[in-house]
Amino acid sequence: MDKYELKPWQDLALGGVITQGGNSADYNTGSWRTYKPLWDKKHCINCLTCWVFCPEDAFFLTDNLKKESKIKKKISGINYYHCKGCGLCAKECPVNKKGKVFAIKIVKESK
Amino acid sequence: MSKIVSITGAGAISYGMKQINPDVVPAFPITPSTQIVEDFSKFVTDGKVDTEFITVESEHSAMSACIGASVAGGRVMTATSSAGMALMWEMLYIAASMRQPIIMTLVNRALSAPINIHADHSDSMGARDSGWIQLYSENHQEAYDNLIMAPRIAEKAGVRLPVMVCLDGFIISHCLQNMIIEDDDKVKAFIGEYEDRHSVLDIKNPVSWGALDLADYFIEHKRAQNIAMKNAKDAICEVSRDFSNVFGRKYKLFESYKTDDAEKVIIAINSIAGEIKEVVDKLRDKNEKVGLLKIRAFRPFPYAEISKALKNVKIIAVLDRSESFGAYGPLFTEIRTALYDMVDRPLIYNRIYGLGGRELSLDLINDIFQESENYLQKGKVEKIFDYINVRGG
Amino acid sequence: MSKYFEIRWHGRGGQGTVTGAKSLAEAVQGTGKNISAFPEYGPERRGAPLKAFNRFSDDNIRIHTSVKNLDVVIIADPTLIGNNALTEGIKKNTIFIVNTEKPAVEIKKALNINGQTLFTVPANSISKKNFNKEIPNSAMLGTFAKACEHIISLEDLVKESKHIFSKMLGASLVDKNIEAIKEGYRFGDVVYG
Ligand code: SF4
Ligand code: SF4
Repeated sequence: MDKYELKPWQDLALGGVITQGGNSADYNTGSWRTYKPLWDKKHCINCLTCWVFCPEDAFFLTDNLKKESKIKKKISGINYYHCKGCGLCAKECPVNKKGKVFAIKIVKESK
Repeated sequence: MSKIVSITGAGAISYGMKQINPDVVPAFPITPSTQIVEDFSKFVTDGKVDTEFITVESEHSAMSACIGASVAGGRVMTATSSAGMALMWEMLYIAASMRQPIIMTLVNRALSAPINIHADHSDSMGARDSGWIQLYSENHQEAYDNLIMAPRIAEKAGVRLPVMVCLDGFIISHCLQNMIIEDDDKVKAFIGEYEDRHSVLDIKNPVSWGALDLADYFIEHKRAQNIAMKNAKDAICEVSRDFSNVFGRKYKLFESYKTDDAEKVIIAINSIAGEIKEVVDKLRDKNEKVGLLKIRAFRPFPYAEISKALKNVKIIAVLDRSESFGAYGPLFTEIRTALYDMVDRPLIYNRIYGLGGRELSLDLINDIFQESENYLQKGKVEKIFDYINVRGG
Repeated sequence: MSKYFEIRWHGRGGQGTVTGAKSLAEAVQGTGKNISAFPEYGPERRGAPLKAFNRFSDDNIRIHTSVKNLDVVIIADPTLIGNNALTEGIKKNTIFIVNTEKPAVEIKKALNINGQTLFTVPANSISKKNFNKEIPNSAMLGTFAKACEHIISLEDLVKESKHIFSKMLGASLVDKNIEAIKEGYRFGDVVYG
């Protein structure tokens, strides 16, 4: 669901001023999706390439609990409120590039 | 104490700006508004004002700096003319749409080509859809008074729009004439303290100005702007009433000069109204029922008020001092629109005059009333649109 | 009689003719009249003939068009004599004030006018004597007070000019200008119409 109700003109701020910082997080770019990336933990090597490339910052990260690892964070899922389905993540994923298995699969968005 | 002084129109504006003592004045000089900027920069250097004076390399930057200073919470003023305002174009719309109560004096001058530095209204008429409130001034006193009223109108809650104070280049800006300058303290008290809205310098309440709107919001913002302009009409009336209570001089959205029982009326803007009044008086001495309606507020345009004021008039000549090539003059189209809903519509015609500073003599104004009389007797207007005082007809 | 008293000045760019019209207007305003002063607007070229105008009235001055109903013509630069513009639109009772060392009769002939009153004033030499350079305005203002006492008397002109000059000039220059005004009133020739 869209967090925003489209407001009538009477409720708009003076001259379009934005009074809350960081409010782009509220913007439901997920509504633009026609294709959907599915992340597969099984094949993911946690290189974070998808996280770097994602234009909507849609990958959830969690702390990597393996203390000995140099990588401090790992992918834990996709935020579909923001993921717009551009497919960049699947395209750049090195596991996908090898072509044997897919760490990110692109499927048609189900209605 | 108010005092009578001999001063040029430009001098009256810079003096008014000194009394208003704005926080920021970004400006770039251009004929015939140069003296305003020159005088004001001297006031700054002499410590007569506390203003931050920003010299810029173009008018586009001048208006950009006005907008920046305004969103930073300052009371902001500037002045320009003709090509100078044309170069501000993009920023004019932004100032209005971002609802910044900037005050700009526009000394009306023709737009090139050919290059011409003299008075006509092509500059301000071109900007009539930019969202600025436009107040026009017949003479020195009106220009000064409009300037003193402008901040209160612009800054009113529900309005918050920029105001353009217009006066004729050279004819008023460079002519020395006597007028009343009001007392500094009284002007200061009338204007009051500036109240900023959503200043970007208020770091406890961070804001961002000038964001993107897509099709899902743009029209709502424009709708809100339209209402602000509607509110501006009430604000102009209210502030003018207060002004007359304090300073005695009365202003409305337009001036009706001997129109009450008039059959033939000329409608015009700015300095030519003086000449027209002179001719009206002469014809009145001969018992001719003539009058003048002089527009003060062109944006917002007082349609209903004008049609009410003209309800007994039989014929109207609208004088435009700017061209709208391929269309009637801008004032004419507004006036004709205002008359459309009247039961008994008067006859009406349009004349273009005075482009690039050409004089319109008292005799020629007299001829206009004559022409109106002819049409009145024939019961119809023969030439709806024409030029006055142009070689070749 | 028109309710406006109207003056046309003739001078050359750079001679201070427009300033002359403005100073006269300011002095007349000091006596309680309404005034206007403005140049004929055109390109400003040093040495080129130019016109300036005044209107004085007890009523509000509402018109801004160039002066047509001439009560006074002031010729600030005698080298302009011969230029037809000087006598354009004059009436029977237009008064001429000319800055020249020559006798009034001679100037009248040179201007080819008949029946108008003409005052001359050696404003350049008065100015030379007082300021050591040619700035004829103050002396010409003095002659104006002689020619048009009903607009401003010498006494009022001196009083107002003191006030106006003091805003811009040091005390000794103020005194010299006042002296030039008085000499402009005193010296010079006249032929009545
Ligand atoms: S499809 Fe595009 S938007 Fe969605 S997660 Fe992948 S890169 Fe980000
Ligand atoms: S790019 Fe592929 S392998 Fe690397 S973190 Fe993302 S999903 Fe995992």
